[in-house]
Amino acid sequence: MNDIDRMLRTTPINRRSALGVLGLTGASAALAACAGGTSPAPSTEASAPASVAASTEPSAAASFEAESELLIYNWTDYISDKNLAEFKTRYGTDVTQDFFASNEEFITKVQAGGSGYDLGCPTAEYVQALIEAGIVQKLDHSRIPNLQYINPTFLNNAWDPNADYMIPKDYGTTGILYRTKLVPEPVTSWKDLYDLTIGKYSGKVVFVNSMGDVFPMPLKMLGYSVNDNDPAHLEEARKIFLDLAPHILALDSDTYDDKMTSGEALLVLGWTGPITDLKANPDTADTVYLVPTEGTIFWMDVWMMFADAPHPNASYAWLNFIHEPAIQAEETIANYYATANDEAKKLVPAEILNDPAVFPPDDVIASLEGSLDHSGVQQRADIWAEFASKIGG
Amino acid sequence: MSARTTARSDTGGRAKSALLTGALLLPISVWYLLLLVVPLVMVAIFSFGRRAPNGGYVADFTLDNYARALGTIDPFLTSLSMAIGGTIGTLLVGLPLAYFMATRAGRWKGLLLLLLIIPFWTSFLIRTYSWLILLGQGGLAGFLADLTGGEFRILGTWSAVMVGLVYGYLPLMVFPIYVTLERMDRTLIEASKDLGAGRWASFRQVTLPIALPGLVTGSLLVFIPMMGEYVIPQILGYGRVFLMGNALYLDFVEFRNWPAGSAKAVMLIVIMLVAITFYLWFLNRGRRTREVSML
Repeated sequence: MNDIDRMLRTTPINRRSALGVLGLTGASAALAACAGGTSPAPSTEASAPASVAASTEPSAAASFEAESELLIYNWTDYISDKNLAEFKTRYGTDVTQDFFASNEEFITKVQAGGSGYDLGCPTAEYVQALIEAGIVQKLDHSRIPNLQYINPTFLNNAWDPNADYMIPKDYGTTGILYRTKLVPEPVTSWKDLYDLTIGKYSGKVVFVNSMGDVFPMPLKMLGYSVNDNDPAHLEEARKIFLDLAPHILALDSDTYDDKMTSGEALLVLGWTGPITDLKANPDTADTVYLVPTEGTIFWMDVWMMFADAPHPNASYAWLNFIHEPAIQAEETIANYYATANDEAKKLVPAEILNDPAVFPPDDVIASLEGSLDHSGVQQRADIWAEFASKIGG
Repeated sequence: MSARTTARSDTGGRAKSALLTGALLLPISVWYLLLLVVPLVMVAIFSFGRRAPNGGYVADFTLDNYARALGTIDPFLTSLSMAIGGTIGTLLVGLPLAYFMATRAGRWKGLLLLLLIIPFWTSFLIRTYSWLILLGQGGLAGFLADLTGGEFRILGTWSAVMVGLVYGYLPLMVFPIYVTLERMDRTLIEASKDLGAGRWASFRQVTLPIALPGLVTGSLLVFIPMMGEYVIPQILGYGRVFLMGNALYLDFVEFRNWPAGSAKAVMLIVIMLVAITFYLWFLNRGRRTREVSML
């Protein structure tokens, strides 16, 4: 099981950039570093963009001396290289990152404590368990003055109502991706996806392999909350799952973009991650992403500090730095995920700001729900296992 | 007096060699203890516990996990048929290949062995992913679709899984058989022919029994990991077959229910132990009766 786990970790299991796949980028980066004879540490100060470098450092953070090192446990390719270089320039701190491919992997590694990291970057619903276990440090808001720029909606969320333990990194939605040229029918809702899956496009639909992301479909179709655990309601959801199962091509979080490119998958219940690459490819430029009208979940990745963080000053410096509007805007430009930082939003180019796959329109935001972690609900687990075992008939 | 000195030096030598043996065995013993025995004991203990409210394990004594594990008989049977099919497939390709390399390849032997090993220098995952291209719409499936003018799919089917399994496990089958055949005394075949046996009879009565230990080793080396195989069916089979590996993955990763997963793992281990013990006992018994009948 360990071997398999290790193998899986090197696969592109995430909704982030597919570039981290198979460790190829890591290997090529190492090769490039050898070939160039330069230090692999990205400390070139010249690479910081003028707009970023122009910002001033708030005085509150200055009273603490940032340590020379900062250890972050993060998703692959999830921080702008420019910002890493800028941070090094300002504080003299080298940021070292280790990467995880799924929240489950993150939890498994850190839940015993003593992970040795300063900051972690999981999805919000997974932090609650860590807070209860005493793994997460309560944040001193006075040391993160840039929190003032964050939209209160995202600070006062269901997972951590006062942002005591976590602050937003970015957020996104789970929705439907489809090829408009190959699917001429209008798709606007979960119900549409359901009808097309059991009908015309049977065998050409992929769902991400993640219970928490797929349960919202039947629940929202039925008009229930994504966090509804009423046994009768879950039983109704189960019927929808069993209707769908024989018509699904695969449960796949890793390579659904490849299946869309080859035309094997025309509709996907998935994340916005691959949409940029799909649109950039002339063969799949017709791909669109939409948030179903019944509503869906939003996920929010957050910054959290470990209780035993070895470099607390550098950690606070980073948390404040990353929410400086110009720095945060650069994160959005680099990662293509929506920021919760209102000031930063003003600095994001219009083409990104107006892309519904990145920033949901305001009326859509109203229909979004944060999903709690339901992996311990036995009925949900049983339904998901039954669904997974009946894929393809 | 001289006898006494000899005796003393003898015991000294024996003690020294015992010490040396102990020292040499120490690393592997520690390795086995820490990485095999301890984890297995932990899995066994976990299987009687409960899922912690936030996932993981809480100590308890309950048989609920085993009661639930009995419900996973379907994925177990699917894994079993896949592993049997995969082992037979690997055997069908591996035996002729090993036979050819050991007896007919001549000076190409070294090169063939090298070619068999070279793929192992690349990550297993990358090799499996490359089959996605070979079997996909830009590869064999697309070619066959053009040829027949219809739609043709290989990926996401049992055929793709079988191709992946045979490809991935082939060397584990070939090498043990190759080693047994390599050492075979060629004059035995000549003798059997002199005594009037045809090609098939020689193969069946001389070559096959000699290769049998290799066949058994190879089959076990291939069969056991195939029972827990998860990656190949997931990538090449699109996860459309629900195996023991999928059930374990769901418990440990998706549901973070370690006790439930542990119970299934323990059940799998016990069934495999019993089955393989029986298999080996059956083979040995078969060989003994054959020897008797030959007499």
